[in-house]
Amino acid sequence: MRRRAFLQAFGSATVLAPLIGTGLLQPRGALAAEGGRAAFEARAALEALRLIGAGGAEQNAALTIKAPEIAENGAAVPIEVISAIPGTTRLAVLVDKNPFPLVAQFNFGPEVMPRLQTRIKMAESSRLRLVASAGGRFYTVFRDVKVTVGGCGA
Amino acid sequence: MADSIKIRATLKGNDGEVRLLIPHPMESGLRHDPAGQTIAAHYITAITLSLNGRPVLEGGLGSAVSANPLFAFQLQDVRAGDKVGVAWLDNRGQRGSAEAVFDAS
Repeated sequence: MRRRAFLQAFGSATVLAPLIGTGLLQPRGALAAEGGRAAFEARAALEALRLIGAGGAEQNAALTIKAPEIAENGAAVPIEVISAIPGTTRLAVLVDKNPFPLVAQFNFGPEVMPRLQTRIKMAESSRLRLVASAGGRFYTVFRDVKVTVGGCGA
Repeated sequence: MADSIKIRATLKGNDGEVRLLIPHPMESGLRHDPAGQTIAAHYITAITLSLNGRPVLEGGLGSAVSANPLFAFQLQDVRAGDKVGVAWLDNRGQRGSAEAVFDAS
């Protein structure tokens, strides 16, 4: 069931058809079911949240954002996000004060743990949000990060 | 560009870690060059991870992922010899991909 739900979330056939025999995925800019590219073009965090369907996300302490309290270089702020909520299928990262707050979102198949590390741009000191989707519900946690030198034009 | 992705797959017991470093400017389209001209947006919009050819993760990215994106993902129930693949697509339609095999560490 989880795999089926996962494939449906990707829009299955159109995304997966070209993969057969290639051994590699061809990204097609999917995630259309979750707001598609529009959410990435939203200029306010609340609008981006609404577009990914997470407008009513509840705070949940089982979500963790690891990030420096003070980031010296806003062009590359190292973060790790983790969901301990069973059945998490999607994570999204937002920076409220960035020109485009939605940074990234990921759909996880059952083989991948709902956690990841990456580096993000922060235009200025801001609230970071992690949003998780599990069982059709949305959960969130916040963390404030101070930025000494903003990532220009994040 | 596609050839220079750094991908490392490491195995601890049945848990696999995939670390990726993808050379890419991740230009937001919001910056200006010294002459005052806007630098055109050029950033990865989608990334996928496959395990033995099956999709296991898909990500949509915005321009606020740092230049030369770095990612680490954790896979479960992985065995030595399993093959992990990454592929990306950017806003100009350029693509890249790479593969690695999990080795017992």
